Amino acid sequence: MLRRAGHSLGSRLCQRQGQLEPAVQGLKPSFAVAEEAVEGARDASTLLVKQRMKSVANIGKITKAMKMVAASKMRSAQVNTMNSRGIAEPLLKLLGDLPDAQGKKNVYVPITSDKGLCGGINTTVCKYTRASIKAEDGEDKEHSIVVLGEKGRSQLQRDLRASIHSTVADTGKVRVTFAQAAAIADGINTTEFDVARLIFNRFHSAISYKPTIATSLEKEAEAGGLLDQYEIEGPDRAELLQNLSEFNLASTLYNALMENNCSEQASRMAAMESSTKNAEEMLGKLTLTYNRTRQATITTELIEIISGATALAG
Amino acid sequence: MVLQVSVMTPDGIFWDNKAEEVILPTNTGQMGVLANHAPLITALDVGVTLIRTDKKWTPLAVMGGFALVKQNQITILVNGAESADTLQSEKVEASFEEAKNQLENAESEKQRVDALFQFKRARARYQVIKQLVN
Repeated sequence: MLRRAGHSLGSRLCQRQGQLEPAVQGLKPSFAVAEEAVEGARDASTLLVKQRMKSVANIGKITKAMKMVAASKMRSAQVNTMNSRGIAEPLLKLLGDLPDAQGKKNVYVPITSDKGLCGGINTTVCKYTRASIKAEDGEDKEHSIVVLGEKGRSQLQRDLRASIHSTVADTGKVRVTFAQAAAIADGINTTEFDVARLIFNRFHSAISYKPTIATSLEKEAEAGGLLDQYEIEGPDRAELLQNLSEFNLASTLYNALMENNCSEQASRMAAMESSTKNAEEMLGKLTLTYNRTRQATITTELIEIISGATALAG
Repeated sequence: MVLQVSVMTPDGIFWDNKAEEVILPTNTGQMGVLANHAPLITALDVGVTLIRTDKKWTPLAVMGGFALVKQNQITILVNGAESADTLQSEKVEASFEEAKNQLENAESEKQRVDALFQFKRARARYQVIKQLVN
């Protein structure tokens, strides 16, 4: 289903927790330069190869350290994510997920990271944002984007600059509190949307995170009559529903921020692990080249000496 | 004990237990919920939620949110929650007095609103502490 969604973007793509292809993509280190050196190193001085070996070894050390940092951050992020689900899930159950919700004014909230080197999670979010906008766009419809995270901003402003309403960055550095999430939600509310779509990576496990679109409506009351079975306490039904949908947006956003942060750390861990592996491989290749070149030099020198000696003796 | 009560905060599940009766601080006053209550949604003010297990009442300070009642399952979603275990009585009393003073001395409208909010929170905590003593 995921794969299909990748090509033709039906509204089904908007299903929450849709089974989308895992976004784990190993980070491809740009070691192409080193590769060239290996090829041509036979005649080059061994010094060049040695330098290259040193830098590759250093890169390997750095990526390994980054992996371990990401792993420890992920552990605490995972706890926060699980805790934040407690408040988001009852609301989801109550109000339902409405992937097909239609509205005149759509607001999209792609949630991305501030830092890179974390595999393909930001690209996936941006891809789904674009696709979702394309799928929902119509004649009499408006859309705007509230971007969360530096990476999403830099990717989306290339082609969707005109639609970006505002950007919020630095949500990942220190753990976002619920009050901060509510403040961001207030910012989203100023777009006066009918339908808000939060696009983020939902954390499943350390190796699996699913691009997810969570929908939130401005007036949850219109949400397919799910609320009709409940009595509403208090004199002002409309106000309560308004408050409820604001609370829902804030909780969903808070949860989405936690989920995405956790996915980011998990993805970075995977990316850095594969980088470390690549660096090790590269180092192995370079060591081989270095040793071969050294041996070749020794052999050549020996031959020269021996043939010189033989010539003298003869 | 037929009611299943869960208090959820953004930082996790705060309380998840069986109970016999719950009193909720709604926007329109306190509201008691017993077994087999009709399905209901209500907004919660900053205040004290009382949960009765057997004959013991447990007070929890809740910082505003919503409560959903359905099929003897009460889900309380709040911005924050505190119980007597997580509060220190001296601190609570001091901050209650301070909040009261601030509210009385507030000059501008904005100050008054801020102070009122602070006061409500402090009062909820204070009530939790006091109920424990009684």
